[in-house]
Order: sequence, then C-alpha cells, then structure tokens
Amino acid sequence: MLARTAMGDRAAFAGLYRATSAKLFGVALRILNDRAEAEEVLQEVFVRIWHKADRYRANGLSPMTWLITVTRNLSIDRLRRLRATGVTRAGNPDEATAHMADPAPGPEAQVVAADERARIDACLDELEAARAGAVRGAYIEGLSYAELAARHEVPLNTMRTWLRRSLLKLRECLSR
Amino acid sequence: MSEGRPDREDDRIRAAEYALGLLDEAEVRAFEARLRDDPDLRAEYAAWAEHFAGLADGADVPPPAHVWQELESGLFGSTQAGSGRSRWRYWRGWGLGAALAAMLAVLLLYLGPFGTPTVPQADLVAYIEAESGDLRVLAGYDEATGQLEVSRVGGAPEPGRSFELWLIAGDAAPVSLGVLPERERGVLSVPDALGPQMAGATLAISDEPAGGSPTGQPTGAVLAAGQVITGS
Repeated sequence: MLARTAMGDRAAFAGLYRATSAKLFGVALRILNDRAEAEEVLQEVFVRIWHKADRYRANGLSPMTWLITVTRNLSIDRLRRLRATGVTRAGNPDEATAHMADPAPGPEAQVVAADERARIDACLDELEAARAGAVRGAYIEGLSYAELAARHEVPLNTMRTWLRRSLLKLRECLSR
Repeated sequence: MSEGRPDREDDRIRAAEYALGLLDEAEVRAFEARLRDDPDLRAEYAAWAEHFAGLADGADVPPPAHVWQELESGLFGSTQAGSGRSRWRYWRGWGLGAALAAMLAVLLLYLGPFGTPTVPQADLVAYIEAESGDLRVLAGYDEATGQLEVSRVGGAPEPGRSFELWLIAGDAAPVSLGVLPERERGVLSVPDALGPQMAGATLAISDEPAGGSPTGQPTGAVLAAGQVITGS
C-alpha cells in the first residue's frame, strides 16, 4: 500500500533535472564543444542517474561531484569515439569557451564551482604552463599519456614522469 | 602531503591517474578492486575527483527543452507519442527499486532544488512524497540525539486538520511519531525504543483531525510515504 509509485520517482527525477541540467550541460559542452553531441550526453547522463542513482556513494564522492564526474566521463568517451572517426571539432579551448557565454550561473552552480575551480586553477598556475596544460588535456580533452607525449613532443616515459611529479606538486598545493 | 612514504605517494598518483582516465583497462580493474576494500584509497580518489570537477565546471548553460521531452518520453513512454526514438525503447518500462528511488531523493535533498534550506547532514534521511507530488516532506534523523528534523517543502493540511507522521517497520502496525508542526520546519523527538527501528523503515503521513489521531492508529487517508535510508 505504501510502496512508492513511479509517479513519485518521476517527480524527484524531474526535480533533479531542473536543479542540475544546466550545470551538467555546461560541462558536456565545455568538453565536446558541440551542442548536439552535448545534448545526447546529457540524456545519457540522466538515463544513467535514473538507473544507477544508488551507486553514487560507492566511491565516496559528493552528489554534485558524482554528477559532474559521470558527465565528464561520458563526454570523454564520446569525444574519444568522435576523435577516432575524425569528425570532431572539439578540443579547442577557445572555441569551447565561445559556447559558455551564459553569464548567470544558478545558485546551485556555486556548490562545487566557485571554490573548487578557483583552488585548482590557482594550484595549476603554480606549475609550469606546459605541465598544467597536460593535466587539463587529460581531464578536459581525455588525452592519453601517448597523446600527451605526442602533443608535447617528449618521449612517453618522460611524459609519465613529468605528469606524475606535477600531480604530486598539485596535490601538495591543493592540501595547503 | 609530505609524508614522503613512497607507497602513499604511489597511491596518490594512481588515484589521480584513475580520475584523469590515464590508466589502461587492466590498471583500471586492479585499481577499482583495491578501491572497494581500501577506505584511504577511496578518500584519495574522492579528493582528486572533487578537485578535478572544478576543471570541468564552467558557466551553466540551460539545455533546450527537447532534451528533457525526449528523456521523459524515452524513460517513461509518456505524453508525446510518436516523438520517442527507437533507441529509447530499451529503457522503457524499467521500474525503480525503492532504494534507488530513495537515493534519488537524497541526491535531490543535498542539492537543495526546492529553494529552501533542506535537511542538514543526518544519519538517516527520508523523502516522504505523495503520489500526486502535492505533499513533500524531507526528514533527517540524528541517531545520537533521537531528533527527527522535518521540513515540509510542499503541501499543507486542510483547515482544522493535521498531518501525522507514522513509523512503519516491516510488517508492524504504524507507530505515531507525532503531528507535523504547523510551521514548515520543525523537530520531532523519536522515543528511544523506536530509534533502532528507523533504518529501512517507511515513514508515512496521514490526514488526521487537528492534534492527531484519537485512536493511536491512522484514521484518515495515508497521503504520502517514503523509505528511511542512510544519509551521508
């Protein structure tokens, strides 16, 4: 008698969409730089939430971070597929930011945004520009070690050593 | 982080590489296997994930309306017949388990989409909602103090009526936790004897005469229900 009904679930789901879709669409756009692709990723994200909402605490992430991480990972999967078929325009940060013109983040946008973004930006600024670029390239463009090595024109093992040292420095700064 | 212990530094780097997607498939499997059993490693990964999320996070961009319409018709097969695409058929008809639905509510609860302060960090939480969506109450239970903080985010009793909150543990008869305060937010004290029954129980709200049920059992319609699940 008291079992929750599908209608109730849908109301909660719709509420979650209203609260987070603009932020997550922004994330997908930033990575994919293509509205149609970002729209499809956003749908994938919410289908996944609908089916796997119970997984969100498995890795100890806060809800918003979990949602951003799911969105980022699905965007990167798609970006890599597009890159493999050679049809992507994405990965150009200047173009990507052109889509980010909306100047009015909602109140929930600040949950993760302001603080965490400012902190990691500040700490990346303490690294050499190329090394900070490599960290961003891995996270925002989904580049592998091999691709990063090619981009920065260094041997693969050098790239690994570089990046790992940078990560330790970065972490040191972030935990200050 | 200057512990300088090499294994600790290795874990730190590994967790970052995992968060960045730099590990190959075998490495990912090995890392995820360790992640399940190693709380320190989970904390390490979570810290990186929080930091890196800041990199992906920019200005909000509202998606166009058709994104939601397609999602809705895809997942629920609703309203817009004909607009659904075949790829959605796969998802259609999948119900949500009660635990999953409740977790969705908890996500909502911490993200605070209602424009009102939601229940603070609590050991146990419940999202009690009417089928119609007309009545929505968030509840957070503090095990140490036995306090149940309730926040009514939608709906109000009819004049001269009260909302009464019930604890239903398993097949047991409902036990009253008291009448919901007239104000939107308030605190109820859960008797010590009932505390251990909270986890996994159902909280329900019934429509009662002003001041609550005269019989000790619900006398009016049960308006809303929700499962009690572990908070953060």
